[in-house]
Amino acid sequence: MKPFTFSKPENLGKALSIKKDTVQFIAGGTNLLDLMKKNIAGPDAVLDITTALSSKIEQQGKGVRIGAMVRNSAITTDKTILSKYPLVAKAVLAGASPQIRNMASTAGNLLQRTRCPYFYDITTPCNKRKPGSGCSAINGENRMNAIVGYNEQCVAVHPSDLCVALAALDATVATTDKNKKQLSIPFKDFHKLPGDTPQLDNNLPANAIITSVDIAENPFSKNFYYLKLRDRDSYAFALVSVAAALHLQDNHIADARLASGGVAHKPWRWYEAEQYLKGKAPSASTFSAAADIVIKDVKPLSNNGFKKSMLRGAVETALQNCLTA
Amino acid sequence: MRLFNTKKPVAARAEGRVEAVAKVTGSGKYAAEYEVKNVCYGVLAVSAVAAGSIKSIDLSKAKQVEGVLDIITHEHKPLVPGMADEAKIKETRFGLPIFHTDKIYFRGQPIALVIADTLENATYAASLIDAEYNTEKANVDFESTHPGVKLSSAGKEKGTLDAWSGAAHIVEAEYNVQAEVHNPMEMHATIAHWTADDKLVLYDKNQGVNNVQRVFARLFNIPPQNIEVSSEFVGGGFGSGLRVWPHALASVMAAKQVKRPVKVVLTRPQMFSLTGYRPAAWQKVKLGADNNGKFVGILHQSKNNTSKYETFSEGITRITRMVYNFDNLKTEQATVPLHLSTPTWMRGPGDCTGAFALECAIDELSHKMQVDPLELRMKNLAVTTDPESGKPWSTNFVNECVEKGAAMINWKERKQVPGTLTDGEWKIGYGMGIGMWGAGRGNASAGISMQKDGTITVKTAMTDIGTGTGTAIQNITHSSTGVAKNKIKIELGHSDFPATGSQGGSTGLSSISGAVSAVCDALKQKLATYALVQKEVYKNAALPDILLSETGVSYKTNNNEFVSYADIWKKNNLTTVDVEASSGPGEERQKYAFCSSAVHFCRVKVNIKTGKVKIDRMVSVADGGRIVNEKPAANQISGAVVGGIGMALMEEQLADKNLGNLVGNDLAGYHFAVNADAPVIEVAFINKTDPNINPSGAKGLGEVGIIGSAAAIANAIFNATGKRLRDLPITPDKVLA
Ligand SMILES: Cc1cc2nc3c(=O)[nH]c(=O)nc-3n(C[C@H](O)[C@H](O)[C@H](O)COP(=O)(O)OP(=O)(O)OC[C@H]3O[C@@H](n4cnc5c(N)ncnc54)[C@H](O)[C@@H]3O)c2cc1C
Ligand code: SF4
Repeated sequence: MKPFTFSKPENLGKALSIKKDTVQFIAGGTNLLDLMKKNIAGPDAVLDITTALSSKIEQQGKGVRIGAMVRNSAITTDKTILSKYPLVAKAVLAGASPQIRNMASTAGNLLQRTRCPYFYDITTPCNKRKPGSGCSAINGENRMNAIVGYNEQCVAVHPSDLCVALAALDATVATTDKNKKQLSIPFKDFHKLPGDTPQLDNNLPANAIITSVDIAENPFSKNFYYLKLRDRDSYAFALVSVAAALHLQDNHIADARLASGGVAHKPWRWYEAEQYLKGKAPSASTFSAAADIVIKDVKPLSNNGFKKSMLRGAVETALQNCLTA
Repeated sequence: MRLFNTKKPVAARAEGRVEAVAKVTGSGKYAAEYEVKNVCYGVLAVSAVAAGSIKSIDLSKAKQVEGVLDIITHEHKPLVPGMADEAKIKETRFGLPIFHTDKIYFRGQPIALVIADTLENATYAASLIDAEYNTEKANVDFESTHPGVKLSSAGKEKGTLDAWSGAAHIVEAEYNVQAEVHNPMEMHATIAHWTADDKLVLYDKNQGVNNVQRVFARLFNIPPQNIEVSSEFVGGGFGSGLRVWPHALASVMAAKQVKRPVKVVLTRPQMFSLTGYRPAAWQKVKLGADNNGKFVGILHQSKNNTSKYETFSEGITRITRMVYNFDNLKTEQATVPLHLSTPTWMRGPGDCTGAFALECAIDELSHKMQVDPLELRMKNLAVTTDPESGKPWSTNFVNECVEKGAAMINWKERKQVPGTLTDGEWKIGYGMGIGMWGAGRGNASAGISMQKDGTITVKTAMTDIGTGTGTAIQNITHSSTGVAKNKIKIELGHSDFPATGSQGGSTGLSSISGAVSAVCDALKQKLATYALVQKEVYKNAALPDILLSETGVSYKTNNNEFVSYADIWKKNNLTTVDVEASSGPGEERQKYAFCSSAVHFCRVKVNIKTGKVKIDRMVSVADGGRIVNEKPAANQISGAVVGGIGMALMEEQLADKNLGNLVGNDLAGYHFAVNADAPVIEVAFINKTDPNINPSGAKGLGEVGIIGSAAAIANAIFNATGKRLRDLPITPDKVLA
């Protein structure tokens, strides 16, 4: 690990005034420290923002504001979240391990980097780590990698579970840039596809800070499910995950949300399938048809063809569980 | 900060592990935790290519880092007599000739060791080392390479293949197991300290201090007794501590070079390539039976990968020569050299891989014959005579394990037709697998030192890698001397203590229990001799009649004639009473064959839509002879079975075929089973004494618990779904395929 200086600015203003490209924020440190130890990140200075940012979950208008420093574990026990946005808690609980969730922050979870194994091994080519060096995964061990939205530059997936639920619920990310300008970014626009800049995971302006994640009031607190399929039952990233939420009225689907993790460079919404579900009666055949829509355009890589049938089964199962679980 | 007051004595609870308090409070020291004055830190830099040679190493940037004392490479190193030339390297059989070659055999091979005043400085400097290589094409692809490697015989052939070519029922199939990594919780670590030119002190993580002593004695051409090795606490081994690995030699070389103690602790990624692993294996089994369900013949072939610099053959087909009777039997094996590091023994080595194929093949045959696989096995078990040696088994209760386990899991619920039992989207199935392991015994010694207040300390060089050896020693000592358990202290894992073999191959307890019984007898004998000075009756005292009570020696059958320790110590002017004894296998090994066995039953749930496999119940019944201490024994079995769940469902160390690197070599990338993956493992023992193996009647248990468990799971998945999955691990993608 490269030597660095460490400081703990007491407020947002101070934190932003010191921030520049070679300076990095640290929240829970559960991702940044690994990246530093593996010589993937090498900041000259590290700013501990754990006290500079909010760690509160507060009512905001009719919605909720989750402070950037709210720990992942706090989300899973908060009364407001559990009663009004339980999908979020369920997604968080499917991630990492209790110890990591106790440390991990909300903002850090959004900004955690991909788990593509080549990204973590600096002796291998990787466009995300070293633009222009090539992508080892595309013809390598890509069992865990993308099936939609990728290009030949990068086939990595975003590893978060929390973000899948936030994408499904159309959350927004509140940010402040170096000039103190505040910008609210809709969740669907927060993370990006690799495009020509695979080194960038998201659209957070350079040197900006996340202050909170906001979720508007929504009707998805009753019929929802988060299904995560992985190689082991805890402490493993998703092969495929599905956040499903239905708003049922008079035995019809008034509104539906369907998002996946483990499939793309960003949390992925299945808009066409959502559209299909609207107005239909919830039934096994409806869900099966929606699952078919989900998988119709996915294009697996050399080693992850299984994700197609797994995703199909996961979508069906998650939708079914919206009714019963 | 001290979290626990380690000074305050805490009495160990009678039935707990003797080391429990030390482990839980953190007062027990693991290799890397010893405080050695003036210690400095070594960090390895490793090769970024998998094959070729080192063209040049640029150390300039690394040397500029503050606190760097020296950097060892193949061009700059102290003399290691045992590696002076090619011939010596071969002769010492150390394995990787670390820093004694410019050749690169695998990616991750150490090319330099940075020695610095702090771990941070050494780590940073190591990251700045740049090397250029003459890169050659690397081959890490076991699957495509093994077909080109010829098999050779593995043991004597019985009968012929032709004799059963027309058997009524024959199955033939190929099975694959991926490489697996031990990943004990504690990283391998060594602190090396040359206290004189020819005197070495080592704090080292390993499974046998005497072995470490011997290896370094050979390498540095000094007497073994000049080398002191401590491994008092070991945070898991699973076989990875049975060899001395390159990093240990690196630390010893470094300490010589900078004339200071040097500590080397591997990083987790380094643990994947520098301390061995279970090799990838291919197997083919052809098995035949007649219409009565009697096995008529078997052909079992296996290949496992090895490195380019050393041959490691796992002994995969051994199990086939052990469990069942076959009139016709042929076993063959081969090793496949790849640009990977050398594999090594990992829990249930060889047999674990072999039993997966054998026990699956039997399940396949039973399905073909439409008979219960349990009954098919029972008909063919070799319970009286070891088929390999022809000697009678001393004890073999594998059939009782089968019966007991079947009752526990309620085997009757199993349906012969796969896919019959369902629960919504979940299919339910039952499967079983048998494991067996040769019950060995080695030479071992132990010593006892007794104080005037009646407390005793039992010492032996044997390590306790978490198996409960210390606790078993305490139990045996208590029952043979009568000394209360809280007055028996156990000291292990130091080369100054009486010598033993390594803690491995399930021979630990079997070997040491003999030495402990012998030394207990020696102590009683010595005290009886002292007592005789005071009381004439002790002349006739036989050892079983002598008991060591709280305050003195008593003669059980003779009115409890009593002589106090105080008197003995006073009369004989003693400070301590010290005895030492050795014991080992004898002619019983000529007369009998010895084995432990474990039979596993699994009830599994398989989701047909998502490919998810959930182990619903796992029952394991073991015959390990007399169970000296049930808690740690059951813990051994359940831990091994959790390893079996990992082997069956998730463990695989992938290597990138283009780049030669290990993929995902950390605990996030390499999946072994966690609590969430395992139900409570239901363990039971036959618990019958083996009268011949050793004085305690206990056979080993560490290895056998994993053997056959992966097959039980794979067979249950077949029973649930009708899908025969012959390639481990059975990840959800394979279930869906
Ligand atoms: C073994 C393991 C398994 C895991 N499994 C899962 C899983 O299954 N599912 C899952 O979702 N996650 C998983 N995680 C990831 C974990 O959730 C993330 O590491 C965590 O959420 C990151 O939060 P943190 O506060 O620790 O971030 P840090 O490591 O502190 O920071 C991460 C990044 O975010 C930046 N940052 C942090 N806060 C801010 C802010 N307010 N504004 C701007 N930048 C900021 C940092 O500069 C850094 O670049 C796992 C992690 C590990 C180590
Ligand atoms: S998929 Fe992306 S992260 Fe992985 S190796 Fe390719 S470029 Fe790097």
